[in-house]
Amino acid sequence: MNFWLAVFRQTGRNLRQTWTSQFMTFLTVSLSVLIFAFFYLIYTNAIGTGDKLRNNLTLVVFLEDDPGPEMQEQFKRKIKNFDTMKSIRFVSSEEAYQRFAEELGENSDVLDDMPRDFLPASFEIVPLKSLSGYNQIKLFSQYLASLPGTEKVQYGQEWVERFHYFTRLLTIVVFLSGTLLILTATFMVAYTIRLTILSRKAELELLKLVGATNSYIRTPFLIEGILQGLMGSVIGLSSLYGLFRWISNHFTGPGILNLFQFNFFSLPVVCIIIFGSILLCSIGSYTSIRKFLLI
Amino acid sequence: MGKQEITSNQEFPGNTMIEMIKVSRSYPPDIQALSDISFSVKTGEMLFIIGKSGAGKTTLLKLICNMELPTKGLIEVAGYNINMLKGKDLAHLRQKIGVAYQDFKLLSERTVAENIAIAMEVSYKKPRAIRQRVYDLLEQLQLSGKHDTITCELSRGEQQRVALARSVANSPRLILVDEPTGNLDAYTTEKVMDLLNRQNKTGATIVIATHDTSIYESGNKRVLELQDGAIHSLTIRNG
Repeated sequence: MNFWLAVFRQTGRNLRQTWTSQFMTFLTVSLSVLIFAFFYLIYTNAIGTGDKLRNNLTLVVFLEDDPGPEMQEQFKRKIKNFDTMKSIRFVSSEEAYQRFAEELGENSDVLDDMPRDFLPASFEIVPLKSLSGYNQIKLFSQYLASLPGTEKVQYGQEWVERFHYFTRLLTIVVFLSGTLLILTATFMVAYTIRLTILSRKAELELLKLVGATNSYIRTPFLIEGILQGLMGSVIGLSSLYGLFRWISNHFTGPGILNLFQFNFFSLPVVCIIIFGSILLCSIGSYTSIRKFLLI
Repeated sequence: MGKQEITSNQEFPGNTMIEMIKVSRSYPPDIQALSDISFSVKTGEMLFIIGKSGAGKTTLLKLICNMELPTKGLIEVAGYNINMLKGKDLAHLRQKIGVAYQDFKLLSERTVAENIAIAMEVSYKKPRAIRQRVYDLLEQLQLSGKHDTITCELSRGEQQRVALARSVANSPRLILVDEPTGNLDAYTTEKVMDLLNRQNKTGATIVIATHDTSIYESGNKRVLELQDGAIHSLTIRNG
């Protein structure tokens, strides 16, 4: 019998003897992974959606008067002074009128009595992706508003602001659930291993006396921690995937969820969560071994 | 002595298995369990330690197997200063020392077979070899029917034999036995001594602490008598 076979047999015995506390720890780790992964999934999707929205972000600068060609160039230069832009397009009052009429379609006759320059001229600015942060956009819009001849700057401020605070709140929730995962994984596993060590004190003492090496005695407890982390994270993530599929299947068709494209974690992220969980549980196991298994 | 390294399959060379020089052991507050004990045990010898209760027999065995440390003095087992050994080296030496404790130290919730096998498992013996050895030992000690019995369901005499079986299971080169026949009838005592004699004939060094005069009066063995923690006599008893 080699070392690993002996150690796995010993691990099997440990698990059989203390299966109730092992099961409770496994459930707690699974639940913690599920809670963390759930919020993290929402967070990553929200960030992804935010990125997409920012790609399509357009700032519209309404002007007080229809500027002449020279003034248009002056405006463009001033805008470019702030940062390089993806595109800057001037929309005259006439063009704005035409667009509006097209949008109204059959009802465009309501505009018949209106003067053709009743809509203000504007600049439609699409910033580069580098100008994507909420604070940067806010600064840019303030800069545009401060330019002489500007009447109003519009970019869906309210919506962008709400989305910004929503992602900030999610960041806090993800951080808290991550902390919960760290605490439960390390402390619960450490506590379970401690219970196992205490309940098998006589056996561990005997193992030392009959010549068991430190690694023979300690490794099974470390394997228990690794198994708790592996199984807890796999079950937690599988449950989340089940929930994800269920929501995807039951909320298809027109609805708010279809405005956004929800994706599950990529394989590398799944691996990182599993590895992180294993690492945390191993740390919990190791601290108990160091503290209570003095050989 | 230079750096001591012991491997799990290493044999013990040399003529002296145990060397004790001016070994003392005291317990707080001021109990002197052993004082200035000096003697040697040759490889392959069978030595009996006798003395009244509290004379220090059990303490002496505990010192030899490194279960306790001496307050002063030198203890060498197979040429190694056992008190200086640590970690893997100490573990490998302990694999070569079989001990049957007075309080048996059996795992009460495990079966007889599991209790005996534990000594072989730590030195990574093959499962088939372990099973065979356990069956052989149980047969020799009249315990064949108790293979799967939980040890807490056994009588004191049966538990004593299981403890003895575990001590010899790994074919150790040194066997320390504390009161091996205390709970046994004459017939079973004979079986137990047969087993120990067989181990001794294969080259194992055996140290037996006992009150039972019948087991050392019959052979041509050395007998060390302790009295109040000191050596009272070291004689050869001719049967």
